[in-house]
Amino acid sequence: MFGMEFYVDPSRCIGCQSCLKACEECDTHRGVSMINFDFIDREQTIATAAYVCWHCADPTCAQVCPADAIKKYEDGIVGSSLKPRCIGCSNCVLACPFGIPKLVPQYEQMMKCDMCYDRTSVGKRPMCATVCPSQALAYVTPETIAQTRREKPVNTFWFGNQKITTKVYMMAPAEAGEIAIDVADYVWEEERELVPQAF
Amino acid sequence: MSWFRRPSSTPLWRDEFPVFTADERYVSRRQFTKFLTLTSFGMMVGNLWILAKSTFERPASYPEVPVAAMGEIAVGGVKIFNYPTAADPCILVRTAGEQYVAYSQKCTHLSCAVYYEKDRNRLECPCHQGFFSVADGAVLQGPPQRALPRVVLARKDGQLVAIRMEGETA
Amino acid sequence: MNTNPPQNRGLTAIDGAMVLVIVLLIVQIWLLSATLESYLAGHKEAAIPGAIISAVLFLACLGLYRFVAQIDSEVRR
Repeated sequence: MFGMEFYVDPSRCIGCQSCLKACEECDTHRGVSMINFDFIDREQTIATAAYVCWHCADPTCAQVCPADAIKKYEDGIVGSSLKPRCIGCSNCVLACPFGIPKLVPQYEQMMKCDMCYDRTSVGKRPMCATVCPSQALAYVTPETIAQTRREKPVNTFWFGNQKITTKVYMMAPAEAGEIAIDVADYVWEEERELVPQAF
Repeated sequence: MSWFRRPSSTPLWRDEFPVFTADERYVSRRQFTKFLTLTSFGMMVGNLWILAKSTFERPASYPEVPVAAMGEIAVGGVKIFNYPTAADPCILVRTAGEQYVAYSQKCTHLSCAVYYEKDRNRLECPCHQGFFSVADGAVLQGPPQRALPRVVLARKDGQLVAIRMEGETA
Repeated sequence: MNTNPPQNRGLTAIDGAMVLVIVLLIVQIWLLSATLESYLAGHKEAAIPGAIISAVLFLACLGLYRFVAQIDSEVRR
């Protein structure tokens, strides 16, 4: 929209949680943050990662929703669930490969990042990208990214044999073409097992 | 209705409830056009119904019903009676000394009862200002398209007798 | 699965077909009322041509609907 794209670089995340607080300020979901914030391995490291919805080209959450409550708009943004339609079945929560949608029990509704559609549809940046001090979450033009970053943006993911193309870009080392994620890597087998990085 | 739908890789419910909002413009337009086509079909059925009725209809037989005695009403006066059945109101008007005319009282527009307007010598329907001629029931003015059906009168033994209706389909 | 949103392709053609259907429908409404009035007045001659023309109009509407459905399926799949 307006030539800008969203770029996520978890290696820049310093764990300040400004994105969480900024997202919470939005009046449409005040107090509930839509940022998926991870402590990578809290016992061993201070590394953190903040993720927003990846706004997939063919959104799995929308495909599995039984109530037709998730829509993808013409500029590529996948909206959060429509309030009159969502029945709180958690199909999307289970289906999303990235684990983004959250079921909020007190509203019986799924809520997820919609890239601050009220802001991005008029050319402003999303709240999280506006406040992130390290620009781990960045909403800039592709030219700016090419000029200011060493990493390359990637928006193709492999989950086993399933290829997922997203609107949001992940910053990856220059030689990485597409990112393959094996879900089995994230299954804890022992109590103290280190979680290997995705790339 | 599977023959009507073009073969598609996606199931019908996915086509009708698209994930992309941009697709909904096509769906809503197609559904509206389908509704219009259905309305067109309904009207064709109406025309076919009229065709069937006009082809298979038997000519009606009318009873003979006495209406009034010869001197019962004054000149310019009216009498309401029922002909051919009790559900069909009719109006009898004495226009001159020995001249009587009678018509169905149901206006051919939307079946309101017509009145005889004596000073203008015409039959008036008050509902939508339709006016009929007393001489032959033709429409003078207003929304009615058809003339008032006429009751054919005969004189028998000093009585006016209605023998049939003219200018209507039974 | 279709992962690309369609452009505005074909929407103009669909709008035009819809307007044409509405015009044909208006003609058909008038035809029905005129046939009915003439039948009730006792003139039975109008029934046959009225039915034929009404059927022709309906078939035209049907053809236009199939055109709309064809454009829809071409653009979206």
